[in-house]
Amino acid sequence: MAVAPSVPPEPVSQAVRGRQRRQREEELLVWPDLVFVEFISAVVFTISMLILSVMVNSILLDQANPNLTPNPSKAPWYFLNLQELLLHMHPALAGVIVPTIALIALGAIPYYDNSNEGQGEWFATARSKALTVVGAVVGSVGSLLLILFDASKHVQIYESLTGSVWPAQLNFLRSLRAIQTEIAWPDSWTKVPLGSKVLRTDLIGLPTIDLNVNLPGVLVEQIIPTSTMIGLPILLSIVAWRARLARSRRDHMILMFSGFIAVYVTLTIVGTFFRGAGQNLVPYSIFIDAEH
Amino acid sequence: MATTEQPERRALGDRLYDVAFHNRVWRSVFRSGYPNTPRNQMLVVATNVFLHLHPTRIHRTHVKITHTFCLGGLSFFLFLGLTISGVLLMFYYVPSIDRAYTDILALENNVRFGLLMRNMHRWMAHGMVLTVLMHMMRVFYTGAYKPPREFNWVVGVVLLVLTLLLSFTGYLLPWDQLAIWAITVGTNMVGSAPILGEPNRFVLVGGFQVGQSALIRFYTLHVIGLPLLAAVFMTVHFWRIRRDGGLARPL
Repeated sequence: MAVAPSVPPEPVSQAVRGRQRRQREEELLVWPDLVFVEFISAVVFTISMLILSVMVNSILLDQANPNLTPNPSKAPWYFLNLQELLLHMHPALAGVIVPTIALIALGAIPYYDNSNEGQGEWFATARSKALTVVGAVVGSVGSLLLILFDASKHVQIYESLTGSVWPAQLNFLRSLRAIQTEIAWPDSWTKVPLGSKVLRTDLIGLPTIDLNVNLPGVLVEQIIPTSTMIGLPILLSIVAWRARLARSRRDHMILMFSGFIAVYVTLTIVGTFFRGAGQNLVPYSIFIDAEH
Repeated sequence: MATTEQPERRALGDRLYDVAFHNRVWRSVFRSGYPNTPRNQMLVVATNVFLHLHPTRIHRTHVKITHTFCLGGLSFFLFLGLTISGVLLMFYYVPSIDRAYTDILALENNVRFGLLMRNMHRWMAHGMVLTVLMHMMRVFYTGAYKPPREFNWVVGVVLLVLTLLLSFTGYLLPWDQLAIWAITVGTNMVGSAPILGEPNRFVLVGGFQVGQSALIRFYTLHVIGLPLLAAVFMTVHFWRIRRDGGLARPL
């Protein structure tokens, strides 16, 4: 009988064998060490959900009435950040373009930051904690300041501090919209005819659009918000890079992601608790509405 | 003369244990007893249909609560809890604008544990949005999206969107003032997109305003369409965790 040629074992160095043994020693069995953790966490979570559900009832207002618009009308809380954006810029930008780009950018993170740096541990790289704090503070404070500016809070502060009225020649700095309304833009700027040849909507069976572009409107609703949303993060990245705080791609990603989360949370909180009737910047609770 | 050692009479507890667990019925369900050796413990994880999502061994640091805070697992657990409470709610709910609101009132007032079931479903839904968002943050700050796990991060972003859509479609179903106007605001945002926005909004709502067509569309998406889609993406998500070598480790 022919003996199958024996394959000599791959030579394994002492160091590799040692590392393999160490890795084995670092490992635990999933049963019981993980399965029981999962089980206990599921039980704890079920009980806490049960207690919450016994103690707090979910809201049920009056029956839906399409003819009675409540003031304010609000989207579910996780979309209130977008509704908050809606107050400051063109609806297409706030409601569709920004969330779409944000999601694509979120999905693209690993394709941009594809190093192995800082993997598998919380805040594993040298400056990651500092970057997280800087991103979170700049994101939340920055978006809060922009909201306060657009609500003309700086005017109120100036007037209460100095006791005089906001100077009329600075009226265009009352809010973002004031740039459009408080400056005497010439007609040649506010009505720029583009005709029906620019957007060929007739090609896809939609009515033709005679475009009259209002340049100050475009400036206020699109150009300024877009350049703010793109420019400020880039500025933050550049400053962090010049300050030698952000050096690698992972560093910049931590900065941007922390800033994004902070802006998301800030806008959600403002939209949920500080937008009342007419979307004015006042404390607001949905539970007050639910009581009557 | 040497005496042969007689087997001791067995204690009552042992005999009851035998009756309960060493009979044909129990053995037909669980082929082996409690896995008390490492070999059997690995076997039970590898061969049990519910446990085989796990590897048989796991690194010490990944068992620590503070490494993952169980957030991904809790999101999945909430999905299961929402499925169960959602099925119970479906028994009492008819997606018609004439009945939906009164069905919810009847559920709260006349059905035993009806209010509790509705509360559970609502708080778990809010909880799932939160745990999914926090899971994303956990994965980011532990750098667990890096190669070879890039694509699983993308699947995770899709699951985040599906979670938000599941919650959003469920928001309309109680058919109260909160529901209809939240969905009106939300779908108007879709409608504001250039050129394709309005047709998309029309398809989503099934008309010019949120009414019966919107309710049945949102209901169908909420109870079958989106959960199935989410289940598919979850399967891929969990499978890829194993394929990509488990939880991320420092290199």
